[in-house]
Amino acid sequence: MKSRFLFVTIVLLCALVALNSSCNRGTQTADDKSKVHVGIVFDIGGKDDRSFNAAAWEGVKRAAKDLPIVLRDVEPGSPTNIEPAMRAFAERGYDLIIGVGFAQAPIMEVVAKDYPNINFAIVDGVSQLPNVASLVFKEHQGSYLVGMLAARTSKTGTLGFIGGMDIPLIHRFETGYEEGAKAVNPQIRVIQNFVGVNDSAWNNPGKGKELALSQIGRGADVIFTAAGNSGLGAFDAVEQAGRDEQGHARRFVIGVDSNQNGVKPGFVLTSMVKRVDNAVYNIAQDVVNHQFKGGFHVFGLETDGVGYSLDENNQTLIPPDVLKDVDAAKQKIIAGQIQVTDAMAK
Amino acid sequence: MNEIFKLSLIFSTIRLSTPLLLAALGGLYSERAGVINIALEGLMLAGAFTAAAVTHYAGNPWIGLLAGILAGMAVASIHAVACIRYKADQVVSGTAINILMIGVPALLSGAFFLSSGSTPQIPKDNLIPWTPVVIAFLLVPLTWYVLYRTPFGLRLRAVGENPGAADAAGVSVNGMRYAAVLLSGALAGIGGAYLSIGQSSLFTRNMTSGRGFIALAALIFGKWRPVQTMLACLLFGFTEAISIQLQGVKVGGEEIPNQFIQIIPYVLTIVVLAGFIGQARAPRALGMPYQKER
Repeated sequence: MKSRFLFVTIVLLCALVALNSSCNRGTQTADDKSKVHVGIVFDIGGKDDRSFNAAAWEGVKRAAKDLPIVLRDVEPGSPTNIEPAMRAFAERGYDLIIGVGFAQAPIMEVVAKDYPNINFAIVDGVSQLPNVASLVFKEHQGSYLVGMLAARTSKTGTLGFIGGMDIPLIHRFETGYEEGAKAVNPQIRVIQNFVGVNDSAWNNPGKGKELALSQIGRGADVIFTAAGNSGLGAFDAVEQAGRDEQGHARRFVIGVDSNQNGVKPGFVLTSMVKRVDNAVYNIAQDVVNHQFKGGFHVFGLETDGVGYSLDENNQTLIPPDVLKDVDAAKQKIIAGQIQVTDAMAK
Repeated sequence: MNEIFKLSLIFSTIRLSTPLLLAALGGLYSERAGVINIALEGLMLAGAFTAAAVTHYAGNPWIGLLAGILAGMAVASIHAVACIRYKADQVVSGTAINILMIGVPALLSGAFFLSSGSTPQIPKDNLIPWTPVVIAFLLVPLTWYVLYRTPFGLRLRAVGENPGAADAAGVSVNGMRYAAVLLSGALAGIGGAYLSIGQSSLFTRNMTSGRGFIALAALIFGKWRPVQTMLACLLFGFTEAISIQLQGVKVGGEEIPNQFIQIIPYVLTIVVLAGFIGQARAPRALGMPYQKER
C-alpha cells in the first residue's frame, strides 16, 4: 500500500510540475478587463534564447510598456504543451494570441478555427484563416547581405553555416547566405551543417559547438548560425579559436534573429537581425487600435524587417568600403535588380 | 574524403563519448546492484542545470561541478528510496524522474534567471572542458578494479545476481543498493555538468537530448562491463563525430543527404546490437526489489 501511495504522489507531482512550467504565468494575477489582453506562446527554445524568441519577447514587452496591454507568456516545455497553452488563453477571452515559431502554425490553425472572434498571430508560420495574421520575413534577403560580409571578411575562402532543425525555413537562410557570398567570390566554399532533424536541435549547444569546431577544422573562418540555443555553441567555438598577435579574432561567427554582437564581443562579425520584435509590436498595436488584419504581413529589407546589425561591438570589424558595397547591394535587392533565391518558394 | 579522417575526429569522438561514458558507468553501478536506472537522462539534467547555475553564481566551475554531483545524488536518492525502501517498479520510478527533470530545472531557472529556457552564459575562463573527460576515462579502469578486485565490488555484483545468497552471507542488500544508486547519481551528475560547463557554456532546457538513453543502450551493448561499455560509448561517440564531419561533404561530386547522415548512429546501433554482440545477460536480480525472508 505504501508504495502505491508513493507512486500516486510522484505521478501527481510530475503532473503538477509539468503543468506549472507550462502555464505558471497564465494564472498569476487577476485580469484588468479594460485592457487589451495579449498572450504569447514561445517556441521550444524559450524566451531567453538570445535570438529568435528573445526578439519576440522584446517586442511584446515594449508593447506592454507603451500600450494599455495585459501581457502573459508561456514557455512550453515540450511541443505537446503548445495547444493547451493557446487554448488556455483563448478560453479566458484574450484579445490577441501570438504563437512564436513555424511549429505552432498547424496548432494555431486548429485553435483559431475554434475561436473565430479572437485574433491570432503566428511568427514564421502561414495560415489562411481570416483571424490569423501570418508574420513572415524575407530571411533570404538579410542572409544575402551577411553572406557578402562573410565573404569579404574570410581569408580562407571557406565559410560555415550551422542550421538548427533541418526545415525549409532554415534553408532559406542558407541559400541567401551562400548567394551573397558567391556574389562577392564565386569560388568561395560554404560548408553547411544542421544540428538535427527534430525540435531538440534548437537546444543542443554541445552539438552546435562540435559542428563549428569541425567546420573550423576544415578551414571555415566565418560561421553563420541559425540554430537557436544550439548556435551559442558556435560562439564558444570561435572564442576558443582565440585571437592573433594583433588582438583580432581568428574566426568569426554571425549571429541570428536578435542582435547577438554583444554575446562574444570581437568574435561576432555581425548578426542577421530579423525584427520579430517590430512585427509583434505592430500587431499588438493593431489590435489595440482595432485595426487588426489577418493574412500575410511580410517583412523584408525595404521595411528593415530584416538586415544586419552594426554597433560598437563590431564597427571596427567591418571596413567602410565593405559597408558601402553591402549597402549598394541592399538597395539593388529592394529595387529588384538583385533577385535572391527564396528556398521556400521552390 | 581525406579531410574527414584526421586527428580532430579522434578528439571530437572523445568529447562526444564523455557524457555517454559518465552516465553509462553510473548506470553500471546501479544495474550491477540490481536496480534498473532508466533515470540517467533525468540525473544528467539535474547535474547539468545545477552545475551551470552554481558556476554562474559562485564564479568557480569546481564548486559548480561539486554541486552538479550532489544534485545528481539528491535526485538519485528519490529513485533509491522509491525502488529500495518502497519496492516500487523501477522503470516507472525512473520514467517519473525523467519527466520531473524536464520540469524542475525549467521552473528553477525561471525563478532564478527569469527564463525557463536557459541559464546565463558562463565566461570561457570558468569552464572545465577537459577535466570531466579525464575523470570519465580514468573511471573505466577504476570501475573495473572496484567491481572485480575489491570486496565492495564482489558484494555489489552478488547483490545484483543473487540478493538472497548475499543477504545470507551477511551483506546488507539494501545498503549496497543505496550506495550503488547514489554513485550512479554522482556519475550521471558529472556527465550532465560536462554538458553545461564543459562542452558548452550554459544550460538549456532538455539539453541532454536523449544522451541518457544512449548511455543506457551503451551499457546494455557493453554487457554491463566497464571496458566493453567504454568501447560502446566510444562507438556511439564516433558515429556522431563521423556524422558531423560527413555533413556537407561531397562524395564523388554528390552531397550526402543530411537526413541520411543523421540516421547513421542509430542504424549502426541496430546493426551492431543485432549482429555482433551476441546475447547480453543482465544481472539476474535486475529490476527485482529485495524482500528479506522472515
